[in-house]
Amino acid sequence: MAEEPKIVVFACNWCSYAALDLAGTSRMTYPTNIRVIRVMCSGRVDPQFIIKAFKEGASGVIVAGCHPGDCHYMEGNYKALRRITFLRRMLENLGIEKERLRLEWISASEGAKVPKVVQEMVEELKKLPPLKLKVEG
Amino acid sequence: MSEEPRVGVYVCHCGLNIAGVVDVKQVVEYAKTLPNVVVAKDYTFMCSAPGQQMIKDDVKAQKLNRVVVAACSPSLHEPTFRRATKEAGLNPYLMEMVNIREHCSWVHPQEKDAATEKAKDLVRMAVAKARLLEPLDTIVSKVEPCALVLGGGVAGLEAALDLAKRGAEVYLVEKAPTLGGNAARLGKLAFSNMRGVELVKTLVDAVKSNPKIRIFTNAELVGLDGSVGNFKAKIKINPRFVNEKCNLCGKCVEVCPVEVPNEYEFNLSKRKAIYLPYAEAYPPIYVIDTEKCTKCRKCIEVCKPGAINLEDKGSEIEARVGCVILAIGYTPYEPYKGEYGYGTSPNVITLFQLERLLDPTGPTKGQLLIDGKAPNAMAFIMCVGSLTTSPTANVYCSRMCCTTSLKDILEIKEQYPDTALFVLYKHMRTYGRLEERLYEKASEKGVVFVRFEEPPKVKVKRDGIELKVYDLLTQENLEIPVDMVVLAVGMNPSKELEKVRSITKVGCTPDGFVREAHLKLRPVETPSDGIFLAGTVSGPRNITESVISGSAAAAKAAVLISKEQVEVEPIIARVIEDVCSGCGTCVAQCPFGAISIKEVEGKRQASVDAMLCKGCGTCAAACPSGAMQQANFKDHQIVAQVEACFR
Repeated sequence: MAEEPKIVVFACNWCSYAALDLAGTSRMTYPTNIRVIRVMCSGRVDPQFIIKAFKEGASGVIVAGCHPGDCHYMEGNYKALRRITFLRRMLENLGIEKERLRLEWISASEGAKVPKVVQEMVEELKKLPPLKLKVEG
Repeated sequence: MSEEPRVGVYVCHCGLNIAGVVDVKQVVEYAKTLPNVVVAKDYTFMCSAPGQQMIKDDVKAQKLNRVVVAACSPSLHEPTFRRATKEAGLNPYLMEMVNIREHCSWVHPQEKDAATEKAKDLVRMAVAKARLLEPLDTIVSKVEPCALVLGGGVAGLEAALDLAKRGAEVYLVEKAPTLGGNAARLGKLAFSNMRGVELVKTLVDAVKSNPKIRIFTNAELVGLDGSVGNFKAKIKINPRFVNEKCNLCGKCVEVCPVEVPNEYEFNLSKRKAIYLPYAEAYPPIYVIDTEKCTKCRKCIEVCKPGAINLEDKGSEIEARVGCVILAIGYTPYEPYKGEYGYGTSPNVITLFQLERLLDPTGPTKGQLLIDGKAPNAMAFIMCVGSLTTSPTANVYCSRMCCTTSLKDILEIKEQYPDTALFVLYKHMRTYGRLEERLYEKASEKGVVFVRFEEPPKVKVKRDGIELKVYDLLTQENLEIPVDMVVLAVGMNPSKELEKVRSITKVGCTPDGFVREAHLKLRPVETPSDGIFLAGTVSGPRNITESVISGSAAAAKAAVLISKEQVEVEPIIARVIEDVCSGCGTCVAQCPFGAISIKEVEGKRQASVDAMLCKGCGTCAAACPSGAMQQANFKDHQIVAQVEACFR
């Protein structure tokens, strides 16, 4: 049996983590592939965390934050947007397909968006060849 | 050198909420194999007193210096377990929570094995982070003993009044030119001999005579900085163009050539560009509608006291407050053109318009006449805009429309005994202690109740209105000719809410109302500390319920602002001074201006103002040398979580 792809989710405390909670309290269901790491703001997500995740074996990474204009810290999500746009271009050059990194705006009320995003990403990742990152040493 | 971590892992069953899906015993056995884990246990309800006691006892007996609790969302019980950790004699920030309920058992009910594996992964990640946790001291900040109440409807008035009575200074800010909100436009209220405006006046009189309350009408919140205990609110006072010298002589209105629909009468009548919203409006000063005024200056010529100044630019003030109460109310649902014939006949009106028509001071002086005659037959269509009765309708029940309609129906029956009355409803919800009596009385008086599943069809004809409806109870198709149709519309979130949300950064529910910190336990608080909710800003409420929530919000706010200082979460950014090169990358990243570059002994380095830092961590993500670190979310702590996700 092929190993299930693991997806690391960096979720901001105020919107997306709350949306993940809402998906739970609403008893929505989605595949078990995600592992959530809570940060206060999507702006906290250092691109190096994402590279690290891929290096460690993540098939995909989702950075989830508040919608533009809704950031609890005014503009952290814009910072995340810039960093991830830049990082995605870099990852493609390294042979990491763009489908493997998603930036999603999920507000606290969008519990229903969680299953949609997870389902979609799991399906997409299963279509990709396995990610083999060369680790030096 | 810090001591070796000794981690205790506590896995909660949450009854069967977790244990019904995740094999809790297996997770506990697995946790015992993780590095530095000294003890791992499970319990039915970890948040219960015995559950917490178990943790406390272990901390002491096993000399634990880290605690991991695998249970529900930290948004629910992080404070609980932090407190327990503290009571056990540990620093509360040496506790890490794992969410295996909302993020695991509840969303994977059919995949027990995979959910158990996921729970193990999550516990491993938390242990990895917990090993690296550091004790943090809470940051203490001074509290401003003032409150900002946004919205001058019943909820806001009640909240302002309660706070002022407790001795707090209150800034009461209302967007409209008058206090009173929606309630002031209602006619005679249910279970009361008061009209809406009279009820509001009772509150307004108390508010205006309280020296602790500063009232700003025609004003809005345009900026909010700071945090719990110390907000800086920017309030823009829009130009009114008429000052206190106004003696309400009304000459200006006579000469004003601009006529526009009167929103205070739900467009049933006209008003001028210079106007007083209604006779009892407060403050009793005319106001000029900037958008509609043509600047013809005729009003200035007739104003004897010289109260009008068309050059009025308004002003802006900054208020330092310890808390904010959002009480901006609701906007009545507006049916779309053609929804049950709305907008195609003057005799298809909304419940709010009916309130105005039945009000003795309304546009018809309380008369309900069509071509000078009382209507022969009238129908009320209930749940308009609620209970998904149309594509634009809300899912929720608006709580007040059934009772208000029945109250109006009894009033109409009294005034016009010969008028036949029909009520077409999806669900009749006269909940509460007194409300059902209204339904019984209406039935006794011969009002015909027709229950529908498919919304009725309304056909506006030249000589009246025809309703077609399938009666669910008698299983018959009915055709009902009437002269007038009242659409019992419900409540939408306030149309001002989006703007207020973008300034205050509070979240909303899928229905568009502001989300409470906890639906049952913290209904008047928001997840943002220091921001409270009163009235219909968080969902439909009747007047009684709005007043209650106004008082509740005031009580919660008073708990905060009556303290001299407040503890702020210490998860702020700090600089490792030896590493910092003083490049200033972080300075540009900080949205709060909390970071500055200082010169210390000839070396440039970043410095964080702990009071201004809100703990987002965006500076830490940008720092090229890793000198900027966010407490509790340090690079190596997050990286440890990432690594532990896979091994």
